[in-house]
Amino acid sequence: MVTLKIAFRNTLRQKRRTILTALTMLVGFILASVSIGWAGGTYSHVIDMFTRNRIGHIQIHAKGYMGKPSLHKSISQDRPVFEKIKNQKGIESWTSRVYSVGLASLKEKTGGIQITGIDVDKEVKTTNFDKKITQGRNLSKDSYKEALIGKGLSKILLADVGDDVIVISQGADGSIANDIYTVVGITDSGNEEADRTGFYIDLSDAQNLLVLGKRIHEIVIVCTDLDKVKKITNTLKSELAEYDLEVSPWQETAKSFYNAMQADLQGMWLMIFVIVLIIAVQVLNSVLMSVLERTREYGVLKAVGTRPFQVFKLVIFEVSIIAVASVLIGSLLSTFINHLLSVYGINLSEPFSYGGIEFNKLSSQVSARSVYLPAIIVILSSAGISVIPAIRAARTVAAKAMRSI
Amino acid sequence: MEENSNNDIIVTENVKKVYSENGVPVHAVKGIDLTISSGEFTAIVGPSGSGKTTFLNIISGLDDVTEGKVWLNGKLISSMKSRELSDFRRDNIGFIFQAYNLIPVLTAEENIEYIMLLQGVPKEERHERVVKMLEEVGLKGMENRIPTKLSGGQQQRVAIARAMVSRPTIILADEPTANLDSKTGAELLDMMRHLNERTGMTFVFSTHDNMVMERARRLITLKDGQVESDEMRN
Repeated sequence: MVTLKIAFRNTLRQKRRTILTALTMLVGFILASVSIGWAGGTYSHVIDMFTRNRIGHIQIHAKGYMGKPSLHKSISQDRPVFEKIKNQKGIESWTSRVYSVGLASLKEKTGGIQITGIDVDKEVKTTNFDKKITQGRNLSKDSYKEALIGKGLSKILLADVGDDVIVISQGADGSIANDIYTVVGITDSGNEEADRTGFYIDLSDAQNLLVLGKRIHEIVIVCTDLDKVKKITNTLKSELAEYDLEVSPWQETAKSFYNAMQADLQGMWLMIFVIVLIIAVQVLNSVLMSVLERTREYGVLKAVGTRPFQVFKLVIFEVSIIAVASVLIGSLLSTFINHLLSVYGINLSEPFSYGGIEFNKLSSQVSARSVYLPAIIVILSSAGISVIPAIRAARTVAAKAMRSI
Repeated sequence: MEENSNNDIIVTENVKKVYSENGVPVHAVKGIDLTISSGEFTAIVGPSGSGKTTFLNIISGLDDVTEGKVWLNGKLISSMKSRELSDFRRDNIGFIFQAYNLIPVLTAEENIEYIMLLQGVPKEERHERVVKMLEEVGLKGMENRIPTKLSGGQQQRVAIARAMVSRPTIILADEPTANLDSKTGAELLDMMRHLNERTGMTFVFSTHDNMVMERARRLITLKDGQVESDEMRN
């Protein structure tokens, strides 16, 4: 207790040095906290935008569909799978899709298409699909033989809203599937490749065309909390184990996107490492100077019977007291900064696009992680680096330090 | 551990100390055999470089010996390890330094209390002893002042109180009056002499000061690292 008392008073005694050391820690804390908050906010935003564009947070397919998609690898809508999804906590919404390929013709023009059958109502709740429509309108609720086509495909077919397009594909029963659909809108997802083949029709129209009955190829789920995606995936995996399905989180369905995000996150850790290094060097410098200046004091303490470990603790306590004070002040300041950045964000002068999605504003995130992680970093790096001067202080040879008793 | 159990507080046997200064060996103490008994008021004197400070450092366990043995209060301290020596000094030796060397962030009362805290003396007893000691050294009413708010003489009084309050076997004082004016120095020496007579606590001084020499009951003169004379006085 007396060691703590001396340590505390010593921090008040060398005010200028204490303030300088505390400022280093404070700035380091705020930088680390804002970096973590910013990274968290930005990545959450980017991931949310990306996943809500099409892939969702979790996808469910028939076993083997992901590796080798096939018209026949489908899930029956009659199965209790959907009940289980409905009852699962943490799910915001979900939708079903069917996929196939075919040919679309309008007058003399023909193009290859990716047929996507969507449940319009659920799709709108689950993804930003309706926001990609640049011309015309979305498929109507009880749409019958309506279609939305990609911007690229509309150029290939020279199709416009109101045109009738002939579609030829193959039915699940081996028959030739063909029908005529009226273009009601044109979509621009930002992904040119997808837009060159994009052909969206109502789920039941697609099931009729492809002779799928009540079968679908994909269930797309969006969770309320991005951080709980893995947990919900695992729960669904175990709950749906008997149905021979594949449940995949977005990290698997969009592997390259996930890897790019992870690689980008490494940059944040590098920045935090640099912050730790700066704090450590400044704290080491400050504490070493202090220890050198007070060699005589340590000599006296040891002469009168203070154990080396108590002298060691004294130095560590002094630094820790400054670090804790910096963390407390830093927590308030950084939370305030992160809050401002999360509310107002920063508008980008030049938007950037990723995976066909355009981002023109980035924002931060207030989270426990953006406080406890920098707190641990600042306190541990400060106390850790102080071990060197603390050992030096503890090893002070009393007779030498005082020159004479 | 070797022990020496008679009334002698300090016993040294052929103590030698060789320093290396820029690679050149310096023989600071050249084989001192000395015995200091309980209750003595002794001054070790000698010119600069005579080895008195080195000798004082050795008998307090602050410096090790190159050769020889040192017993303090019956314990062979010349073979003790660092931590053991710390505890031994804490419980057996009171130090009074030329530059007072109080802990600058603690008040007079806390400085006096410090060693007792290390010893684990209970709070009430600590307080009782501190109050008594403050009165004894004439610092009543100044207990809450930090060292910088005290004069040199007052700081040295705190140092004396700190040295004595833990009830050590011996008080070692290095030039305790060197930084004080002669009047204050004389007052403090008289006070220490009085405490020595009243409590029977052993005092050993290293000094140049004639006032100390005048009051010492034993005068050990060192020259070139050896005892030149050892005189008992009344």
